[in-house]
Amino acid sequence: MSKTGSPPGISRRRTVGALAGAGLSLPIILSPVRGNSQARTEITLAIWGDKGSVTAYENVIAKYKTVRPDVAVKFEVTPFGQYYQQIDTRLAGRQAPDLFRVEFQVVGRYARSRALMDLTPHLPADFGSAFPAAFWQAVNLDGRTFAIPQNTDTLAVFYNVDIFNRLGIRIPAGLAESWSWAEFMDIARLLRARGGVRYSFAMLWQNSQAYRWLPFLYQHGGQLLSNDLKTPEIESAKGIETIAWTQNWFKEGLVPPNTAVKSNEQPQALFANGTLGMYIGGDWQMPYLDQNSPDVRWNATYMPRDVAMASDLGGSCTAVWRETRNPEAVMDFLKFLTSETVQRDFTLDGQFLPVRSALIDGKLAYASRRDARKVFLEQATTVPPHLVQTVVLPSFSRINQRLADQLDLAFTSGQSAELTAKNIGATISTILRT
Amino acid sequence: MPYIFIAPNLLLFSLFMLFPLCYAMFISLHDWDLVGDTSFAGLANYSRLVTDPLFWTALRQTLLYAGGAVPASLALGMLAAVGLNQRMPGRIFMRSIFFMPVVVSGVATAVIASWLFNDNYGVINALLERAGLSRVNWLSSPSWALPSLIITTLWLRVGFCMIIYLAALQSIPRTYYEAARIDGASALQQFIHITWPLLRPATFLLLIINVIYSFHVFDLVFVMTGGGPGFSTTVLVQYIFNLAFASSEMGYASAMGIALYALILAFTVLQWLAGRRSEVAMGGG
Repeated sequence: MSKTGSPPGISRRRTVGALAGAGLSLPIILSPVRGNSQARTEITLAIWGDKGSVTAYENVIAKYKTVRPDVAVKFEVTPFGQYYQQIDTRLAGRQAPDLFRVEFQVVGRYARSRALMDLTPHLPADFGSAFPAAFWQAVNLDGRTFAIPQNTDTLAVFYNVDIFNRLGIRIPAGLAESWSWAEFMDIARLLRARGGVRYSFAMLWQNSQAYRWLPFLYQHGGQLLSNDLKTPEIESAKGIETIAWTQNWFKEGLVPPNTAVKSNEQPQALFANGTLGMYIGGDWQMPYLDQNSPDVRWNATYMPRDVAMASDLGGSCTAVWRETRNPEAVMDFLKFLTSETVQRDFTLDGQFLPVRSALIDGKLAYASRRDARKVFLEQATTVPPHLVQTVVLPSFSRINQRLADQLDLAFTSGQSAELTAKNIGATISTILRT
Repeated sequence: MPYIFIAPNLLLFSLFMLFPLCYAMFISLHDWDLVGDTSFAGLANYSRLVTDPLFWTALRQTLLYAGGAVPASLALGMLAAVGLNQRMPGRIFMRSIFFMPVVVSGVATAVIASWLFNDNYGVINALLERAGLSRVNWLSSPSWALPSLIITTLWLRVGFCMIIYLAALQSIPRTYYEAARIDGASALQQFIHITWPLLRPATFLLLIINVIYSFHVFDLVFVMTGGGPGFSTTVLVQYIFNLAFASSEMGYASAMGIALYALILAFTVLQWLAGRRSEVAMGGG
């Protein structure tokens, strides 16, 4: 038995019919009939985001209003912590927004659940060629396009300039010269011993964002899943060694104990208030650091590397609800939102990293922190294609939750790297089988 | 006629309690990721529950939490009530102070508590350091995280227990104490032989309410620890929430919700039977 769309056992038509039968439709019947002369189409766009993101979207909507005054874009902002719960429940209740912002990692799940409109027929055949393959691959499932990339973000290392200068620590001049794992650990130990900070560094992976651990696995030459994405590969020596390496950060007291994967700590606040000498965080946190670290001079450098370079696939795209009542208006706005000119302004207003090849190569004139942004832009080119294939799997949200559970046990509760890898492998096998 | 009077209540109860409960039972028989297709799963979600080690871990942690929070809430609530039932200056002010956390949102309390207990900049660790003691990793140590949650719960619940006990204390006739004093009973004997037995109905009520609260605890855990470190604070509702909204396994989460419902129902019936037996025994004596 299989049904699609509405919650099991409940048909909206039946519910509405029942309510109408009960006389609850009376206000609708009595409401005045609207004239067609002033007909205005309203579409809804849901996003999460900080002040910069909200401004960037508001500017796009204001520009769109000048082009299409007959279409009103209703704009809804939800804090990230509750965002997907709200989208999920609204999809279940068939009250979803027409368009919504979505992370690359989640597109596959929504597409597989048939919650998203297939955009393929609405886009030119060569539309995807405007984006680097990794981003375009992330919004496609089984050869169909379900979202359009909007912006990207990635991880790099923020460091305290004064402490690094005082200790004479080498800052890599380019991506190719990024610190090795051994160098990174030496620097961390030096910071702890002579940096005058309580902890050397922290990593942004709290609130169960365990997928941010994956770049280290790829740096070490490992991968979470096999090449065909059908079986786990975490139980390899590379997997176990990567778990042990990151576990060692906690064992040696280099990172605060309360910055493990399942904690709710805000590590950027610890860097901003001088508790840390380094912080592995995202480019979107630069405005926060500018505003909240008056006593800390900071800059950014590349992620450490081992046998390979790797960073995280971050960012977002825009998807359309499959049951939107105004598909034409929605597609018109979506094409406007993701056009090259609008994306350029959007990227600069929100201080994002661009996803269009033309903008990535085009040296965008950011208002501030151009050096640091250059580091992140370069780092974004190191996201491994296999990592992208892994995190966009429809079942990845379940894998991510189990990965968070097991890594947290390794980091906080002394679970061995071997057992951690074994448990992650077993749980992934179960998830991939179902 | 009586049906007309209970109709509004019955309607609201059916709409907001009975229907969601029946619907949760229905969902628990399906596989459903909330946004996509559903498929009938029979009792598969329930059989998975029995073999899921995390369910048993979450149940154990819930029982540990309840075992720590409930007796301590009752004991401290009773102590505060007995103390603040005496004539003393500032009595009403002190009662207000104890009761204030009850009216504050649980999430707000949890946010404040997570700042107080924060390993790096928390007030409690700063005070410990100033007193020459070493810092404690309150929320990041598997040994301390659950006790930290229990301490925060006491902050929330003691005021509520105190108010119920105060009401019960004030309903005990003064003549019982006067008679006991005339017979030469000490203050402790008066408490053991008069106050404690006559507070039993209030204790029974608070026991049930607090056990149900403990089995439902979510906001504190979600804000303060996220269920970690490891699984040391993963309680049942936290696990249900993760299954429903992080793993999108609504069918399995519903099955676990029904199991929790059955557990609380069984516990309440047992306590009710025990309470009734003890009332009969008291009446017979």
